[in-house]
Amino acid sequence: MNVLLAILGKDLLIEWRRRDRLVAMSVFAVLVVLILYFAAPPNRAEGGHAHVPGLLWVAYVFATVLGLGRSFALELENEAMSGLALAPADRGWIFLGKALANVLIVMVVQLLTAFAFALAFDLDLWPIAPALAGVSVLGAIGLCSLGTLFSAMAVRTTNREVMLPLLMLPLMIPVLLGAVRATQGLFEDGAVPASALQLLLVTDGVFLIVSFLGFEYVLDD
Amino acid sequence: MTDHTSSPWHRATAGLLFVLAALWIYLVWNAPIDRVQGVVQKILYVHPPTAFAMYLGFVLTGVGGALYLWRGDARYDRFAASSAEVGVLFAVLMLLSGPIWAKGTWGKWWSWDLRLTLTLVQFMVYVAYLLLRSFTEGSERAARFAAVYGIIGVVLIPLNYFAIDLAAGRSIHPENLGDGSLGEGMRAPFWAGVVTSLTAFAYLLVRRLEVGGLRAEAAHREAHDALGAEG
Repeated sequence: MNVLLAILGKDLLIEWRRRDRLVAMSVFAVLVVLILYFAAPPNRAEGGHAHVPGLLWVAYVFATVLGLGRSFALELENEAMSGLALAPADRGWIFLGKALANVLIVMVVQLLTAFAFALAFDLDLWPIAPALAGVSVLGAIGLCSLGTLFSAMAVRTTNREVMLPLLMLPLMIPVLLGAVRATQGLFEDGAVPASALQLLLVTDGVFLIVSFLGFEYVLDD
Repeated sequence: MTDHTSSPWHRATAGLLFVLAALWIYLVWNAPIDRVQGVVQKILYVHPPTAFAMYLGFVLTGVGGALYLWRGDARYDRFAASSAEVGVLFAVLMLLSGPIWAKGTWGKWWSWDLRLTLTLVQFMVYVAYLLLRSFTEGSERAARFAAVYGIIGVVLIPLNYFAIDLAAGRSIHPENLGDGSLGEGMRAPFWAGVVTSLTAFAYLLVRRLEVGGLRAEAAHREAHDALGAEG
């Protein structure tokens, strides 16, 4: 548990001092929103907003992939990765510390993206803000759990930037389906469908367990 | 040095495959033409059998990966990598044969239903698996990463199934291709297709394992020679 807090504190402190990841992710997410608006403008007719929840999650996912790529890249400096691998601690806790730091950073980016999205697509998100925040956090946990594990792998490959999305995206289908359906429910009738919530919770649980166990074999000194 | 090209496994699977393929072609040739779908229905004798071989390949990749992480023996890693490669090959065959049949009977190449989507996702996962192997430097590290990814790919099949089931529309893909749904005279060529496909899988797996073994041997010899030159 102490290891988790130490890693979490370290990653957040680095982010606070440099702020490069947060700024890059946020600017990128806003650009994605801009492009999505021009690529698929909402039409004023009935049901013209049906695709909007999907677009919001496209922006979230792209920004998350960008940010996760940096998560372990910063450990390569000064051989910090070897330090992590040699630390006399359960590697699962190291994973949880990194993943939690990523979730918190992604949450900040989600908040900014949702704001930009509401402005661009002329949406009133205030009434559903708490529920949307809940769904976004559940989605962020799903994305960042397996994402953190794959980030540790991708950073050791020759095609780092390409490898992470290739590894991540095919396995993110359950998170995305759950999150998009939940958001769609919120947009349409202000409530999250139980099946979507269940899917998100189950997926988060499974992803966390799998990544916690798998991380043992991913760090090398 | 052992002669890999004439291993008993290789000869046995090759001989069996030759006999089975001949029998299968004969049975498919003589199978009745479907009254509604016409001759395109004969893809039934190719399409599901390649799907079975594909899923077998992916499950064996996970099993090989788990054994590698447990035992640390490079042979298990070669087994996992070979299974993934042959599995992807069968996946391509299935993804090519499926749309041809679909266009002939449903009138469209693709349908986003549960089984098609799940298979496409699994295919993408294992293509990523092969890319991960080729982009990772160091054979031990590549083996370890690939094992973790291969296991996750298999473990998440039920979750993907559950998720896509929730989202997919009503399926137009036949639900069960068991004995019951097969018409008169279709059973023998269908099962011959399944056995032939699985034998072809075994044959290719054996061949691929032999290549993997030879490569490892060559790498070993190279390392040995390099050390000898230094000394």
